[in-house]
Amino acid sequence: MNKAWLYVALTSFFELVWIFGFNTATHWWHWIFIIGFIFVDFHYLTKACESLPTGTVYAIFAGIGTVGTSLMDVMFFGEHISIGKIFFIFLLVIGVAGLKIADGQDEKKALEGVKNDGLDSSILGSSK
Amino acid sequence: MGWILVFLAALSEFAGVIGLKKFSEKKTWVNGLLYYGGFGTAFFFLYNSFKYLQVSTAYAVWIGIGTAGAVLINMLFFGESKSTGRVVSLILIVIGVVGLKALS
Repeated sequence: MNKAWLYVALTSFFELVWIFGFNTATHWWHWIFIIGFIFVDFHYLTKACESLPTGTVYAIFAGIGTVGTSLMDVMFFGEHISIGKIFFIFLLVIGVAGLKIADGQDEKKALEGVKNDGLDSSILGSSK
Repeated sequence: MGWILVFLAALSEFAGVIGLKKFSEKKTWVNGLLYYGGFGTAFFFLYNSFKYLQVSTAYAVWIGIGTAGAVLINMLFFGESKSTGRVVSLILIVIGVVGLKALS
């Protein structure tokens, strides 16, 4: 499970790398690296979806990409940060954290369900 | 014309997300084509919509429809959890993404 979240982190990171490249590329050979990073990015996106719900992974992927590009605009490209932007970044962070917690709970429930249906139920039942 | 392109970009993104789901389960050429082809086509349409619409507006609408659609498709057709915590978190993410993109 932790490995899957590592893949989510990696896909989000490489997404920001190629978006940065997209904004700063000046020579043709830069695009070779950018396309390379896009493939690395999609590789980790696929890996993340192998063990986490695709909807979760995709929403986080889009969310971190959006926060990352906004912060990049502020830090590297001299854009202004406004109260409105801070508010939406805050909402996104809550949403991503909430999703991680919610999926963790769903997974726990699913595991307990398996336990109760399986052999353990008699052992658990007798200890209660 | 601009909005038709954004709409086509969102539809292509849905295809890409279905491809992502299927490709992560089974690495076949067809699934890979749906995945990479879907996202590739989505970016192509989105990029062309920038000729008619403001970049931040087109981007915000596209990513909002795409993210919400990706989540709904996976809930409805691939049996992902519809728990309250998950739905609320996803709504926050979609509002956050659209709002932030609209402002930048």
